[in-house]
Amino acid sequence: MNLAARFKSWMRAMLRRARTEREMDEEMRFHLEARAADLMRNGLAKQEALRQARLEFGGTETTKNQCRDAIGVSFLETLMQDIRHGVRTMTRAPVFTFITIAVLALGIGANTAIFSVVDAVLLRPLAYQDSDRLVTILMNGDNPVSVANYIDWRDQNRSFSAMGAADYWSPNLTGIDSPEHIYGLKVTQSLFPMLGIDPMFGRLFVEGEDKEGADREVILSYKLWQRRFSSDSNVLGKQILLDGNAYVVVGVMPRGFTFAPFWANGELWVPNAFGSRIHNRGGNSLRIFARLKDGASLTQARAEIAGITGRLEQQFPGTNRNVVVTPLKEKVVGPIETPLLVLLAAVIFVLLITCANVAHMLLARAASRQKEVAVRAALGARRGRIVRQFLTESLLLGGLGGAAGLALAAIATRALIAISPDSIPRVQSVTIDWRAALFLAGATILTSVGFGLAPARQASSIDVNDTLKEGGRSQSESKSRNRLRSLLVISEFALALMLLIGAGLMIRTFAALQAVDAGFNPHNVISMVVSVAGSREADPGRRAVFYPHLLERVRSLPGVQAAGGINHLPLAGDIWGWPFAIEGRPKPRPGESPSAVYRIVTPGYFEAMRLPLIRGRVIADTDTSAAPAVVIINERAAAEYWTGEDPIGKRVSFDDDPKNPTWVTVIGIVKNAKQDNWTVEPAPEIYLAAFQNHDFMGDAGARAADHETYITLVARTAGDPAALASAIKEAAWSFDRNLAISQVVTMDSIVADATAQPRFEMLLLTIFAAVALVLASVGIYGVISYAASRRTHEIGVRMSLGATRSQVLLLVVQQGMRMALAGCMLGIAGALVLARLMTKLLYGVHPVDPITFASVAIGLGIVAIVACYLPARRAIRVNPVAALRCE
Amino acid sequence: MDKQLELLQGTLDMLILKAVSLSPLHGYGVLLRIQQISKERLEIQQGSLYPALYRLEHQGWITSEWGESENNRRARYYRLTAAGKRRLQSETKRWNEMTTVIAGILNATPEEL
Repeated sequence: MNLAARFKSWMRAMLRRARTEREMDEEMRFHLEARAADLMRNGLAKQEALRQARLEFGGTETTKNQCRDAIGVSFLETLMQDIRHGVRTMTRAPVFTFITIAVLALGIGANTAIFSVVDAVLLRPLAYQDSDRLVTILMNGDNPVSVANYIDWRDQNRSFSAMGAADYWSPNLTGIDSPEHIYGLKVTQSLFPMLGIDPMFGRLFVEGEDKEGADREVILSYKLWQRRFSSDSNVLGKQILLDGNAYVVVGVMPRGFTFAPFWANGELWVPNAFGSRIHNRGGNSLRIFARLKDGASLTQARAEIAGITGRLEQQFPGTNRNVVVTPLKEKVVGPIETPLLVLLAAVIFVLLITCANVAHMLLARAASRQKEVAVRAALGARRGRIVRQFLTESLLLGGLGGAAGLALAAIATRALIAISPDSIPRVQSVTIDWRAALFLAGATILTSVGFGLAPARQASSIDVNDTLKEGGRSQSESKSRNRLRSLLVISEFALALMLLIGAGLMIRTFAALQAVDAGFNPHNVISMVVSVAGSREADPGRRAVFYPHLLERVRSLPGVQAAGGINHLPLAGDIWGWPFAIEGRPKPRPGESPSAVYRIVTPGYFEAMRLPLIRGRVIADTDTSAAPAVVIINERAAAEYWTGEDPIGKRVSFDDDPKNPTWVTVIGIVKNAKQDNWTVEPAPEIYLAAFQNHDFMGDAGARAADHETYITLVARTAGDPAALASAIKEAAWSFDRNLAISQVVTMDSIVADATAQPRFEMLLLTIFAAVALVLASVGIYGVISYAASRRTHEIGVRMSLGATRSQVLLLVVQQGMRMALAGCMLGIAGALVLARLMTKLLYGVHPVDPITFASVAIGLGIVAIVACYLPARRAIRVNPVAALRCE
Repeated sequence: MDKQLELLQGTLDMLILKAVSLSPLHGYGVLLRIQQISKERLEIQQGSLYPALYRLEHQGWITSEWGESENNRRARYYRLTAAGKRRLQSETKRWNEMTTVIAGILNATPEEL
């Protein structure tokens, strides 16, 4: 039906309704007048006759209502009436209305926002075909795998219909204006068909492209295609330069496609040519993905992989240990599951408190409307009619609250996405979708029916006679109603206490995290990744000249106090473990040689980071390739591998060749610095001198490896480090315009990112707890002040019989405190259980932290006392005589 | 005048159908007609007449139109429809059967058993 037709039919109905009403009036008037005329013929006077006629007829309004019922117009009619009445009632109590709608909006809005996030991040399946059949196969469930092992697994298994592998890759995109360091994957040909996603246009890789020499093709992500190729539909067949090599664009993936889902920043894919690596059982770099065969279960697949890797481990000791098959979705959302569920639970608590609050607000109001209801009942309103009216009113409130909540949810969801840490996967795909909207609608209706029915039932079951007779004076409420209201306040307090304890634990966690010593001093340090790949500086022998000059120029900039470089920056860059041998020790069994996090640093790095030297000396400008090779170790490495010895002067070797090892000498010990995880104690770490490393310096004869073509520059500044970023970039570009500079970021913000997730959890939990606290306080305040006002008469009696003010004060406060205490007890019991679920989120604080529990309980108690005291004080100000006389 | 009888539950509709089957009537006329035929022995709540009329019209047993009353006032006249006529017949039959059965029971004497 179009809009005009709908309007016409509505108009007709309205017009006919008006006519029906007119005719009904006329018909009844006719009846009364005809009856009166007859009575007058029998000798009655006109006035008397009319009176008699009306008496005989009975109530015209009731009759008319019954007529409307009879012809069925009354449903809409009543609804309109109820809505009009509801709106009138609401506007007559604007504060109550505003608070109710605001409280509802808050509860519903927050719930919808969090539900949207949980839905998008946790519940929704990954955006691949039959994504629940996809798994990852990784060492320890997390670490990459070597090429030869992958090939063996692929060829020997029967549980998987397909298996694919990917290397992480970060090439420089050059040859177009402003070179850029981007992220991508080198994937086997089998990988994309396994996912079951077609490109938006172009094609996927075809068989044979992952052979060496045929691998110069690239598939772009939608984002990269948009950003760097202006969504050019003729991009297919174009050549782009990646690390100086030409790749042909063969396809563009659809919008929203990401792979791998746990490295969501990958923007392009190229074939992975294994080449000579097919025999390599070291050099673990592959992430393995597989699809379960139809009919094969995860358990079967796990058993089979365990069998294959068990055989391989016997054959090649030290490899294939603890290989774990994990469903892909679990791998993606596993780490975030607990925090999100805790947040979801918290926000549901907020909703429950919201409902309880609104419910007893309406209860109190219904009680004060008893007289109105009694009058209506006396005038002939049926019970169902009264229930309906109350329902309409609460649905109206719920609807308005829901609408406001939806608006709030839209804002809150956007805010959530904005403040969410990068560690939450898929958060960019969060939208308020129909499921969230449905959830909202359900929440609204349930809430309003829930709190709408209770007062309506109470209101409609009151004794009309009593209420009218007493003239609305009802000094004490019925026991059951009192109990219901107390129950609501108690549960509100219990819920609020649990939320506060949750928030308290997160605040303590966050404080503990802030107190963690990074080892280095992150303030006033700027870092950026400078990549030489694809530029002139990548040529053999150039880097040995370029890097020292670059550092020198940066140090000479005004405001720069120190500058250095490192291969992978702590907390932001990659982490590589590397086995090494210690001179003079027996050859360890395979897989048991000492290993350390492998860093390559230039002179100036330790000064720039202010990573304190414990003993010995740091790497100096004189440690060139001409000088003897040197390394620095961290305290942990000294303690672990040189227990009771002095490591300084000892020699280690990272060579694969045991016959003719290249020994490097330990010259210094530095303090432990955080590595890739803020809360994990640093592992042994070894810093090599960059200018002595042939691979890193790209000397003639060095292996060409992607990860050796960039350096992370760090500079300590006198003032705001971010202000110097462009000056440092310009300094680098003054050597070569083709240098790709990326990830310009201050060390402070890297540290902040490392604790972003707990901060996010703390922030949300604190907001929820604050809302809960306010709601619970408003709740107890409202209930006590209402109860006190209902007891005005009783208080008057007590005081005129000689009760002192403090006795009365105690009486009123006691009533409230009993509820608060019961709530606190329940809350503590609940928190004891719930806090255990939070264990995974906590750091440096026990789930049952006595300080948190005690301070929250005491704090809440104080709030409760204040909330009870205010109305109690008003109650004792009552003049006993006035209290007795009133009503 | 004899004591008035209260109307049995559910019989008003039947009486209204019968009243308007004789000739079209307005609401007050329906009341008068029933009282006249019953010789004033039935007590009818005047207000209850109209919801019944509206219901019957809504169900299609009777229909109404505005006309002139005896004293030249505009009044709404109800008359029986074809469906209403059938309805009245079946209701009458049912009622007669019912009264026969009930009367039979109430008049039963020990000898008949």
